[in-house]
Amino acid sequence: MQRPQPKTVRRGLLIALLVLWEAVPLTGLLPELFLPPLSKTLGVLWADLDKYYAALLVTLYEVVLATAIACGFGIVAGATIGGIAALRVLLLPVFSSLYAIPIVILYPIFTAWFGIGSQSKIMFAGIYGFFPVMLSTAAGIRTIDPQFLLAARSMGATTTQQITRVIIPASLPTVFSGLRLGGALAIIGVVVAEMLTASAGIGYLVTLNRTILDSPRVFAGILCILVLSIAYDILSRLLERRVVVWQSVGRRQQTATVPRPATQAVAAPSAA
Amino acid sequence: MQYLADVKAATAAGPAIEIDRVSHVYAGAEGGVPALEDISMSVGSGRFIVIVGPSGCGKTSLLMMMAGLREHSEGRINVHGAPIPKPDPDRVGVIFQEASLFPWLTTFDNIEFPLSLRGVSRDERRRRSRPMLSLVGLDGFGDRYPHELSGGMKQRVSIARGLVQDPPVLLMDEPFAALDEQTRMTMGHELLRIWSTTRKTVVFITHSLTEAVYLADEVYVMSSRPGRIIDHIQIDLPRPRTYEMMATDTFGRLRDRIWQQIRASH
Repeated sequence: MQRPQPKTVRRGLLIALLVLWEAVPLTGLLPELFLPPLSKTLGVLWADLDKYYAALLVTLYEVVLATAIACGFGIVAGATIGGIAALRVLLLPVFSSLYAIPIVILYPIFTAWFGIGSQSKIMFAGIYGFFPVMLSTAAGIRTIDPQFLLAARSMGATTTQQITRVIIPASLPTVFSGLRLGGALAIIGVVVAEMLTASAGIGYLVTLNRTILDSPRVFAGILCILVLSIAYDILSRLLERRVVVWQSVGRRQQTATVPRPATQAVAAPSAA
Repeated sequence: MQYLADVKAATAAGPAIEIDRVSHVYAGAEGGVPALEDISMSVGSGRFIVIVGPSGCGKTSLLMMMAGLREHSEGRINVHGAPIPKPDPDRVGVIFQEASLFPWLTTFDNIEFPLSLRGVSRDERRRRSRPMLSLVGLDGFGDRYPHELSGGMKQRVSIARGLVQDPPVLLMDEPFAALDEQTRMTMGHELLRIWSTTRKTVVFITHSLTEAVYLADEVYVMSSRPGRIIDHIQIDLPRPRTYEMMATDTFGRLRDRIWQQIRASH
């Protein structure tokens, strides 16, 4: 028997999960308060669509700005710290330690400074996402093979050319993985912040409905965030594949085949 | 163009590379560490020179100095009649131990990299890289990325990149060290073919005594640190070299002489 493709299995699992979501509460195994059926969740989502839509827009707006802050400052700080040895020795351990702190504990301070509107969410989530971007950018620049720079210099590259033609493309894959993580953390940061203290956004809706024990509306909110996160993941993957062609090609090949046989290589079409 | 004419004139007039009593001391925590001591050599234009020596004898440092990639404390290095304080791709092409191709560029773009640094137009770049690709036997692989190529193919691309600006001098730092024995032999043979069609001056560093004798017109043997030149051997085997020559007595004697020198220097 042929082993099914991982993709098929994944789809099967997802469908099974959705079926269980619908079936388990209907059979009475779990009370609807704990798990409202999928159909009911979708029902309230449809009924309150404009409400959820407005909340999602608020959340999305905060996520986009938080991601921009995380990526912008993260790349600049990471490049500076990764590129300058003295700064790196001085600051990198500090930032690595800071990354371990649960920054959510600082959120009350953010609300005190920036109010309970979008600003505090953007700032909080921006800083939350900043660390992985900064650390991976620093790592990406620090781990560039010095041989690349030596080769570029031997071919007459100026300092500017070494940066634009070697350092930036060489660090791109690492930086990009940091950006993906940073964006994901920005989403978490925004939602958590909305759930703690807010007057708008999906997180706020979830908390609000939880306090009045309206489970279907809680799950409708969760569903919105799920969709948002998955959309973000797909989008960033696509972008990564476009920007870092050589890396994704490499990874695909590594998983697909061992080195291609010589005969196949020789049989390659000649350049037109 | 005047510059190139000057280079050509210098080529006709004197040796391609002149190294005159070069010494180098590395600054260390407990005073300087002598790395190179009183190195002199004169490399004729179009010659194939091989430098051998134990690990850490400073042969790579010496090559980097010829490339203008590293400074030296004392002495003088002239390449085609002029010192080389910084890299000059018009005079010197360098091929490194690891292929050091940029993984984010295709074969074409890698070969054209030195041209693109100086703003040569895309059409012109392609016009010049295509024959290089053919020369190294990689027709049809121009659009591949380095990870799609074998180790030997990567070094071929690296050689093409070193040749694309047509410098009179090619410096090679153990270019085939990372390859397996069979590929290494093939690449040595290929290099001689390319050299005989381009007539570059080649300075080639290796650990392999067989490779040294097989490739070289002249072999310089260096001692362990501080690196000095302890022997200079003319390899008067006929060209083109063949694999069969490796089994001859002459070949064996030459290789043995180098080995004795290196062993005695420890």
